[in-house]
Amino acid sequence: MKLTEWEGKKLLRASGIAIPQGERIEKGHTTTTISFPLVLKSQVLAGDRKLKGGVLVVASKDEFEKSVDMLFTTLIDGCLPDYLLAEEFIVFTEELYVSFSYTSEFRTPVLSLNHMGGSGVHEATLTSINVLKTFGETEITQALARAKIATTQLLVVTVENLWKLFQQEKLRLLEINPLFVQRGGNVLAGDAKIVRDDALLLPVEKPILQLGGDIAIIASGGGASMLNIDILMRAGGKPANYVEYSGNPPASVVEELTVRVLQEKKVRGVWVVGGTANFTDLFETLSGFVAGLRRITPKPLYPIVIRRDGPRLAEAREMLARVAVEEGYQLYVYGPETSMAQSAEVLLQKIQTV
Amino acid sequence: MSILIDIHTRVLVQGITGREGSRASHSMLEYGTHVVAGVTPGKGGEMTEDGVPVFNSVAEALRAHSEINSTLIAVPGKFVRAAADEAINAHIPLINILSENISIADIAYIIALAKQEGVIVVGPSSVGIISPGKAKIGSIGSGGLADTTFTPGFVGVISKSGGMTSEISRILSEAHLGQSTALGIGGDALIGFDFLDAAVLFEGDLETRALVIFGEVGGTYEDRLADAIREGVITKPVVALIAGVFAEQLPLGTTLGHAGAIIEGERGKASVKIATLREVGAHIASTPEEIVTILTNLLHIYAI
Repeated sequence: MKLTEWEGKKLLRASGIAIPQGERIEKGHTTTTISFPLVLKSQVLAGDRKLKGGVLVVASKDEFEKSVDMLFTTLIDGCLPDYLLAEEFIVFTEELYVSFSYTSEFRTPVLSLNHMGGSGVHEATLTSINVLKTFGETEITQALARAKIATTQLLVVTVENLWKLFQQEKLRLLEINPLFVQRGGNVLAGDAKIVRDDALLLPVEKPILQLGGDIAIIASGGGASMLNIDILMRAGGKPANYVEYSGNPPASVVEELTVRVLQEKKVRGVWVVGGTANFTDLFETLSGFVAGLRRITPKPLYPIVIRRDGPRLAEAREMLARVAVEEGYQLYVYGPETSMAQSAEVLLQKIQTV
Repeated sequence: MSILIDIHTRVLVQGITGREGSRASHSMLEYGTHVVAGVTPGKGGEMTEDGVPVFNSVAEALRAHSEINSTLIAVPGKFVRAAADEAINAHIPLINILSENISIADIAYIIALAKQEGVIVVGPSSVGIISPGKAKIGSIGSGGLADTTFTPGFVGVISKSGGMTSEISRILSEAHLGQSTALGIGGDALIGFDFLDAAVLFEGDLETRALVIFGEVGGTYEDRLADAIREGVITKPVVALIAGVFAEQLPLGTTLGHAGAIIEGERGKASVKIATLREVGAHIASTPEEIVTILTNLLHIYAI
């Protein structure tokens, strides 16, 4: 789960990391308490906002309203902001890149540093962090030196505070780009890109991926899901959205996920797909799917292709056949005799003949 | 032969009285695996329905059953760190983590500790390990499906996805291509045991003649394997199915900011993994069914 810059900066401030003076600007606001010139930033979750037209320098009060309107209507990576951030204009001597994240390369947290931060930064000096040992002043000073960044006490303390925040909040990513260094050594976070760990979310809070097409996908297991989207797209299908559950969730979780996915108005077909389950109770999870289906209005009469294999498949098939007759759903249910790829083709054919 | 587990495997189940732990231990026993003890704090002295003794701690279980040489962790995500801490500090050589939804911070800690103490951690989010006909750890092949899905043979299967471990093994078994060992290594960003770790063991296993891997977009584990193939560390044929090419059509820079791109560069992309593996001589399948075609050709042409 990504935070907006505004949300991220609130976290930073609470952790003792200095940020520029700023104000949240809602749609229709025509004034601000921040003095001019100021920087106005679209609060979308995209990277490289400056290059994409999401950051404007506003010189005077007269330009403010026009700039606000412009940012509220500028699409960035297909998204419009819910609100903007107006910030004081910072004069700086250096822009650094600082981030904490994890990498499969070392299978550890990693501190990435670059003495030239800002939009378009594409390399950094990496420091792998041993979580069984202290990562403090000495280690940070060494890492800064390796990245050829002039070290000051304030900078070291700032990076140390970032590391503490990263650990305390169990973040996936904490990226400050740029970290401004001002004349006299003052340090300010110019931006904040923070990603919280989805592992700490409840199953029904999991993000639904919007893909812009017309086929809703409810997939089991991350890996099979990705493979299946590849297979569907190769066969010419266009996924509308996709949600995935793994493990053995109760029916109520699958029901909620089903409702969330099928609420999308553009849906013309549904693909419930997974490989050979090891311990997912198919009767339980597909009962949850049916419960979700029953909550959708108007009644979904588009083709629904289900391809599953695993424990209690026979009982699940029997239940689905009964429900299809009762409700008049177009349910096509397949087991391991039909490959996942074949079931994708069936779905595409059925959608075409509707 | 097989890797990691065989007929000598003696399993402890941490979280044995919980929903997943009891299901997994029941299915392991059904498969003939020796589940000798379980741990659930506060329930020491009880017996499970299957007659497995329950202990309050790993140390207690080990005092009563010194033959334990592996443990399955099936406790809720937020308790995994403490459970793994106990198992690693007790030096159980093989730890398989079934649990999902573990914060990456906890995973990083577990991996670091396991490395320091010299024990193997497979997972988290691992569906388990099965050496067909010998033993299994975890949920892999539950619900009475183990015997038809997994059959003894010469293919080593390594998969980031639990469902695909079984889907691939079932398709192989139907084509009479049995498995020496099949394992789910988990699809989390940080995992304790990756493609290369498993491939090195398969390379040294006389029974295994070919490897099948199921990989995904993200991370650099497939690249580590590709490097080892290039360097001649892995010489057995590798068939790879890599998912997630579609992700390249999503807006860039939306997932992990610059950090992902800076550290992984292009390597995280599914299409790049496919190209890298192909370049070093791995055989690329685009569906699970194609794996059979490729392996059958390898059998006929190279008599692997």
